[in-house]
Amino acid sequence: MMENIYRPIRCEVMDVITESPTIKTVVVKPENGFSFLAGQFASLTIPGVGEAPFTPSSSPYDKEKLEFTVMRVGRVTDAIHKLKKGDIVGVRGPYGKPYPLDHYKGKEILLVGGGVGLAPLRALFLALIETISNYKRIVFCCGARTPADYIYKDMILDKWHNLCEKYPLCFRITVDKKDESWKYGEGVVTKTLDGLDIDIKNSVAVVCGPPIMMKFTTLKLLEIGYKEAQIYLSMERKMYCAVGHCRHCLIGDVFVCKDGPVFTYDQIKDKPNIWV
Amino acid sequence: MDTLYITKKDWDSFIKGKAEICNIFAPFEYERRLFYNRASPDIEKDIVYNRVRTVEPLKIFFAPFKERVFPEVDEIPEIVIMGVTTCDINGLKIMDRVFMGDDYKDPNYTNRREKTLIISSDCLSPYPTCFCELVGIHPYPYDGFDLNISIFEDGVLVDIGSDKGRSFIGEDQKFLQASREQINKREQNRNKISAMIKESNRAFDFVDITTKLKGAYHTELWKLPKDIENCVQCGSCTNNCPSCVCFLIEDTGSQETMKKVKVWDSCLFPGYARMAAGVSPRPTLYDRYANRLLCKYWYLVENYGKTGCTGCGRCIDGCAGKIDKRKILTEVLREKTAIR
Repeated sequence: MMENIYRPIRCEVMDVITESPTIKTVVVKPENGFSFLAGQFASLTIPGVGEAPFTPSSSPYDKEKLEFTVMRVGRVTDAIHKLKKGDIVGVRGPYGKPYPLDHYKGKEILLVGGGVGLAPLRALFLALIETISNYKRIVFCCGARTPADYIYKDMILDKWHNLCEKYPLCFRITVDKKDESWKYGEGVVTKTLDGLDIDIKNSVAVVCGPPIMMKFTTLKLLEIGYKEAQIYLSMERKMYCAVGHCRHCLIGDVFVCKDGPVFTYDQIKDKPNIWV
Repeated sequence: MDTLYITKKDWDSFIKGKAEICNIFAPFEYERRLFYNRASPDIEKDIVYNRVRTVEPLKIFFAPFKERVFPEVDEIPEIVIMGVTTCDINGLKIMDRVFMGDDYKDPNYTNRREKTLIISSDCLSPYPTCFCELVGIHPYPYDGFDLNISIFEDGVLVDIGSDKGRSFIGEDQKFLQASREQINKREQNRNKISAMIKESNRAFDFVDITTKLKGAYHTELWKLPKDIENCVQCGSCTNNCPSCVCFLIEDTGSQETMKKVKVWDSCLFPGYARMAAGVSPRPTLYDRYANRLLCKYWYLVENYGKTGCTGCGRCIDGCAGKIDKRKILTEVLREKTAIR
């Protein structure tokens, strides 16, 4: 009998971490393990409520558990925020094309993330750290609206930051609007690209965040000399099947679910309404 | 292709015999239109052959409006569908590529395809809204069927399209080899119908439609044909289309028994592409209308190497806003070429 492509793997919720007033990270344990590559996504089923696609934010090297960092914006994400330890959810996947790490070898990798867009970049960052000797350097630019909206604060400001002494790695951190507790930069995330000391010719930029942030970051990257094919974007669309059947996620003629979700800018720049 | 001949009388009794042992669905007339119905032996004589397409698209047999996909439907019966026209055969070719074309095979669709025998037939009385010839499809099929039948004077020509079709006929001695003369005569009939459809569509220009539509995203361009504003976004065109496959998935069930149900969706609906936070990449009616036609004539060609539109005309017949898509496309192509 043919394997049913809609069968979700049963997962038990291990933990629910509050990252910000609107963002939580749900840690789940898939019944028989789960493998994915950074940038690929999975469909998370909340039984009886609905299903939505998310790129896991946990390390692709961890086959035992998966983490999804989710902003509360609608019906399904609302139900995700209400999950409790011990609840059962479903996961299908992995789907889509991952970040092409082979192409990143020997290069300086610029990661630019904003808000909940840091989630896929966290999985990518954790994968890069595992194979750090393959890359020349990692520059991680992180942004959020306010200090309270910052996710993974303990990692970005502390745990990962400490790795900078050991590895060729640096962070450029900003918030759109700071408060008295904030001792890092202020301004939108594109500001962190000013005065960037990077060998652009031998670099790739990976961008993930809200559409408006991706748009202006892409424009800025082009302005400072990145070529269209050096800019990797994580795209998002309404999605149901995740396997190229339901046609909801098409951007023009390309499927976010199977041609993406990771695209280089030149692959999609001529498609309609890419920044929504 | 092997073509056989059988008298109409013998064909009728052959089908009557088959109707005793098989689930046969065939076109029947109801208020001057054709609808699929179960062809039980007592109503076999009322089957309408070789007239025109049915009101319902063929996809209702393979991807019903609403069905459970997880767990998959466990009992799918073997059926025979008769009277399928070329427009629907071509719709099925798109659906095959979508649902069975790669590593991900839709469970119910694949099972149904395996358990269905398709008997197509020539179209002899096309509607004024039929335009298969505009999209390069003829009103008679060359492939994509198990058997094809053409009513021929007092007999029936039967083309064998597959081994499954051949074994449906079996060793029945009443089927004879068709003569060259009979086949030639059928060809002449077929050409007449083709010419008729071309003639009734001479006001419309679909030449190089895929190439010409490339890049035609701009909302303003689609505001030019005035009729689009009559679209009430009811989804009739997508529901009636033999190659519109879009669906959404509902999660029912519980933590103990998860269930997923597939339901047809329509890209004309404002909520179709709207994302969780409320933004939509196709916010206006014009964006959505453009998307449907761009998908049909361009995106599907890129995705599956084949135009989605099969010229069946159901989207025109069923349109609540009385929009004739042929007119819209002719205008858009003319405007786009002028802009260039």
